[in-house]
Amino acid sequence: MEFSTVLQSLLSGLTLGCIYAALGLGLYVVYGVTRVLNLAQGEFVMLGGMITVSLSAFGVPLFPAILLAVAIVSLTGAILYRFIIFPARHASGSTLAFLTVGFAFAVKGLTLLVWGWEYRTLTSFLGSPSIHLWGATIFGQAPWVVGMTILMVAGLYYFFGRTMLGRALRACADEPLGAKTIGISPARMGLLAFVIAAALGAVAGATITPLTMTAYNVGIPLTIKGLLAAFVGGMHRAEGVILGGLLLGLTEALSAGLMPSGYHDAIALSILLVVFLARPRGLLPAHANIED
Amino acid sequence: MLRAEYMATRSGFPHGSTDPLLELRRLSVAYGRLVALKDVDLRISSGELVCIIGPNGAGKTTLLKLVNGLLKPSSGEILFRGEQIESIPAYKVARCGITQMFQDVQLCPTISVLDNVMTGCHVWTRAGFLSTGFRRGHAREEEATMRASSLEQLNALGLTDRVTAMPRELSWGEQKLVGLARALVAQPSLVLLDEPYGGLMQHEIDKLSTLLRRLTCGGVTVLMVEHLTDVVMDVASKVVVLHYGEKIAEGEPQAIRNDEKVVATYLGE
Amino acid sequence: MAAVEVTDGITVEAGRARTRRRVLVGVGLAVVFTLPFWAGAYPVSIATMIGFHSILALGLVLLTGLAGQVSLGQAMFYGMGAYISALLTVRVGLPSWPSIFLAAAATGIIAAGVGFVILRLRGIIVAGVTLTVNLIFYYLIMSMGSVTGGATGMIGIPRLVYPGNLPYTAFIFLLVWLVVLALLVFSRNVVNSRSGRALRVLNVLSGGSEDTAQVLGINTMKYKVSAFVVAAVFASIGGSLYAHYTRVIEPSTFHVQLSVIVAIMVIVGGVTTPWGAVIGATVMICITEILRAVAPIVLGGPTGAYELVAYGVVLVATLLFLPEGVYSLPKRLKRRRRASR
Repeated sequence: MEFSTVLQSLLSGLTLGCIYAALGLGLYVVYGVTRVLNLAQGEFVMLGGMITVSLSAFGVPLFPAILLAVAIVSLTGAILYRFIIFPARHASGSTLAFLTVGFAFAVKGLTLLVWGWEYRTLTSFLGSPSIHLWGATIFGQAPWVVGMTILMVAGLYYFFGRTMLGRALRACADEPLGAKTIGISPARMGLLAFVIAAALGAVAGATITPLTMTAYNVGIPLTIKGLLAAFVGGMHRAEGVILGGLLLGLTEALSAGLMPSGYHDAIALSILLVVFLARPRGLLPAHANIED
Repeated sequence: MLRAEYMATRSGFPHGSTDPLLELRRLSVAYGRLVALKDVDLRISSGELVCIIGPNGAGKTTLLKLVNGLLKPSSGEILFRGEQIESIPAYKVARCGITQMFQDVQLCPTISVLDNVMTGCHVWTRAGFLSTGFRRGHAREEEATMRASSLEQLNALGLTDRVTAMPRELSWGEQKLVGLARALVAQPSLVLLDEPYGGLMQHEIDKLSTLLRRLTCGGVTVLMVEHLTDVVMDVASKVVVLHYGEKIAEGEPQAIRNDEKVVATYLGE
Repeated sequence: MAAVEVTDGITVEAGRARTRRRVLVGVGLAVVFTLPFWAGAYPVSIATMIGFHSILALGLVLLTGLAGQVSLGQAMFYGMGAYISALLTVRVGLPSWPSIFLAAAATGIIAAGVGFVILRLRGIIVAGVTLTVNLIFYYLIMSMGSVTGGATGMIGIPRLVYPGNLPYTAFIFLLVWLVVLALLVFSRNVVNSRSGRALRVLNVLSGGSEDTAQVLGINTMKYKVSAFVVAAVFASIGGSLYAHYTRVIEPSTFHVQLSVIVAIMVIVGGVTTPWGAVIGATVMICITEILRAVAPIVLGGPTGAYELVAYGVVLVATLLFLPEGVYSLPKRLKRRRRASR
């Protein structure tokens, strides 16, 4: 086994892992605050990519295009919460999950209507299509993806740890009733959580599009990967989700690089599934005080 | 397997004598560092009505959960008719003849009162998935027997006109009675009751006391957790006092009422 | 006196309702089982597809509606039935009828193993894990090219052999709907029985509890796994019939999308009653076919887009406004009419 092959796998695994971690973080924010398993997270990512591509095609410069895409996707997140989740907020977890499935189907269909079935892509953010590193070749976009995830994590830590609003969100996640008595509205926090998740998804979508391309049907596979990352790492902690994402990405890339061709997808998923079944509470389980 | 056969298999235990019916030996349980029960010993004979009292957090409900098998002890033994049951799963404990009514009753909300009581017959029936799906003869027979026994039980508790109602249409007192019917239709030899009097009105309290007395006269043993001290002193044949996981007193109601330690820690105030 | 009249009124009304229901079911059966003799090829093929989806959905009624275990893996067991049956007939050369039963048995054994591992988990996670297992199954049949034909799938699956000279499509149609009827009766029997009650008591989704079930003497794991296996065997039988019907199978049919759509079908129809599965499958397939045929012509746009939107809208609307599904619609309308009177 050549060093460069392994390095290549590790680097692309890291990139993939960052994508899955970004997806997992969106799921984590929504689940943490509202206890809803948002199976439309992948659609946010898909929409973010699609809208950025279209805006760029109209000649909008890249970063304003991303910002605009984030705004639009956040609005869809708000719609999902306000008109679909909120009216049914007292229903069972599976009902809420299926409501997001319904939303995902509708978004997918509308995307197909508006953009058609073609795969679309963006040029790499800084132009250079690939970077060479000790014999390994990585896509020019990969550092952007990694950077985006790091920025996302840092931003979330700052938001949840240092700002008043973030602390209110956390209070709502840990102790909904207590939060209510001190004047934090769970409904407003739920809305905020969905908007944040949608915004995270849109940023991720715009960033990964030069690497993975985007089309109306990429949402569900992305959701499944994000879900697996979150389950494996532990849905109750951001660190767990990130760990799960990286693990999934590295497992996929390494089995693609090292395993007999053809079987690597099944093998990677099976490995993750076995890890999850062995530790069903996640690799990093919840802190004792927010156990449910 | 019909009810009579079930009863026959249950009475043929090796030791012949069934005294004591239930025995707890140095039973302890800890949740992490928190010790919920510590070295509790207890012997209950057939036909007794034993009440466990104690302040909140004394380990009363924990003790019931150990007996019904939902919780495994950290150390110690539980013997039912001389056989160890502390390590077998809860559903097998139920088949030994132990049933329970929960504090919040927990009727299944999606099925009628009659169907709820019929779930109590699960322990003495055996029709499996396929035989019920294909409506084999023995499954149909069993279904009829379950229905008849459940109706009889509901009748005995004065619930005949609520048979087709859904649980949410019942008053709290009626729900408790249905829960009791579900426990009794299993033909148990030991019934566990978790605060059966909680939330009942005075006439319902009296009715329940009469029922429990009649039950123990019929040879059924009752182990219950209860807060209402007056009722406990009235119906119990034996009272056990738990305090922070330890048994601090045990005896006849009158003796407990006069026990200095108990008065000081619990009954006094 | 008044009380007697009221109860009399209710029994008379209930009796009338029962008669009405029986007439409705009788007419429905008559229409369905004579369909190939008076309808064209297109309606018959649509009705056959409704039958296949009803079989898949019926499994979920016991597993999800009664036991409260949300499974998104029906497409996998459908695929197992199809592929095992196809492999036994094409590669081993077995006759087609026994291969259906062998496939069902094999799928049942696999499902027992899978269920035993997965159903220890609780809540919505079961849905996520079954979805993942379904995805793994899809990747596996894609990769095992030498056995399963990979992405192109398998061709040349033999027909079922039957006496008489009925056209093959009509025969398959009747067979599929007979199977639907049999599974419907089976599920209905389970619903109203000792096993059905055991499943409902342990159903956490609808307010039951596994602890309560255990204390009542119910071996919760055994019942959950049994329901899982029964759902899988239903799907497997459906899959085998499907393979012998189309005689060509490819992996994309058994992707996770179908699992999700089947779950949507039972939710739309009504998850707690076997009739809900058939109603849901009918509603969803009809919507699909109508939109496929009409929408792109009238509204333009690519085929397949409108039905996705419709699935989403129908699912959300059902969950928000009709949580017990289309099955409960008549009852609800009646109640509203009575309330407004």
